[in-house]
Amino acid sequence: MNIETLIATFLTLCIFSFLYKDNPFYKFAEHLLVGISVGYVLVMAVNTTLMPKLVNPVFKQGELGYIIPGILGIFMLLRFFPRYTWLSRISIALIIGAGAGVAIPATIQARLFSQMQASMKDFASIDGIIIFLGIASTLAYFFFSKEHKGWFGATAKMGTWFLMIFFGATFGYTVMSRISLLIGRMQFLLGDFLHIIK
Amino acid sequence: MLSRQLIFVLIALSVAIPLVIKIGLPNQVTTEVRNVYESIEQLDSGSVMMISFDHEASSLPEVKPMAQAILRHCFQKKLKVITLALMAEGTAIGEQLLRETANEYQANYGEDYVFLGYRPQAQSAILGMGEEIKRVFPQDYNNTSLDRIPMMKDIKNYNEVKLIISVADGDLPVTWVDYAVSRYHPKFACATTAVMATSFYPFLSSGQMVGLLGGLKGAAEYEILLEKPGMGQKGMDAQSVSHLVIVLIIVWGNVVYFLRRKTSTVDSPRSTAKPL
Repeated sequence: MNIETLIATFLTLCIFSFLYKDNPFYKFAEHLLVGISVGYVLVMAVNTTLMPKLVNPVFKQGELGYIIPGILGIFMLLRFFPRYTWLSRISIALIIGAGAGVAIPATIQARLFSQMQASMKDFASIDGIIIFLGIASTLAYFFFSKEHKGWFGATAKMGTWFLMIFFGATFGYTVMSRISLLIGRMQFLLGDFLHIIK
Repeated sequence: MLSRQLIFVLIALSVAIPLVIKIGLPNQVTTEVRNVYESIEQLDSGSVMMISFDHEASSLPEVKPMAQAILRHCFQKKLKVITLALMAEGTAIGEQLLRETANEYQANYGEDYVFLGYRPQAQSAILGMGEEIKRVFPQDYNNTSLDRIPMMKDIKNYNEVKLIISVADGDLPVTWVDYAVSRYHPKFACATTAVMATSFYPFLSSGQMVGLLGGLKGAAEYEILLEKPGMGQKGMDAQSVSHLVIVLIIVWGNVVYFLRRKTSTVDSPRSTAKPL
């Protein structure tokens, strides 16, 4: 058995020990995970962003235009120094402005217009009617400018049923997802570590 | 009354026993998984596909079987596969899985597949590749210029890519829909963790996604279509038995709750609570 399998088994059991109660072994494994994750992401950021997008273009290829975004990046780090925090607002303003400009039309097109179109095109079928009822009644439930009484209250009530079905389906999928993670660890423990299964 | 620890033991046993003793419970293939399979099956040999590893290490037991099944299908069909990562932790995992699966089919790096590596800021990376892939990834993961990779010579942007698949554990497939599908209109599908699957169903019905693989079950269904059992099918017995145990525990909890409420009205918190 190789050393990697032994380390992975030890850390898996450390994490599982939390199911009994919190303990130093769990804390150790948890802190190790956080530390390694942060270190990995930092190295990736340096290797895939800082070096190819700033250091190499400026110092190796002499493309001085890259200094401007570099300065804006340094401004972001000045948030840690109260006297110069105001400079970071310039970078944040640029990010928010450009980000919103790119995101708003794309989101409206992809999530509003396309979804509205999809909920209308199949209106003649049973599925289409159910989708329409689901949208209309759920929207009615979240409309608070009219009291939920009478026919409007009944529609809003129907909206809560659709919401409950959605929550139930999501919870079911969540259980499946979490069990899958347990299956992955069990396959490792019973297979790679104990060699009971192939 | 079941203690927490007893429930954990029951769940652990319900997962472990079916892994050791095969039951062979049936597993039906759903339309959304079949659509992904058919989208790849219909492609001609040499067609270009793009697979993005948009996940972290923590979701590996779910995403790895799905990614492996899709990659096997691609290499079996002799498609050209461009891969990349839009989450840092997906980089090393994706590269390792790609290399292992490519070796199974004797696929050659640079001719049959390429790994572009990781780019942060998914929105700008996705938008940028719509204009020109080389602008976002001038070099591949091994720092080789894309100009020197034979497979990439005739590939400029999404126009040459027949299908994009995001293997994800978060909402990055939505970012692909927002910025790639709505603007450049490539065919798009996702292989996602089960916990995220319900979020993407609206995009299936709108046609913005051609198909979806949801978690370990999605992987198992794909393996059935591929007729190549893998990690997905191996875990499905455990999945089904543990779900049955959870349902029984929920039913048991409700039965105990209603019996207690019926027989004990004095001790219940509701009856003892004083009105404000």
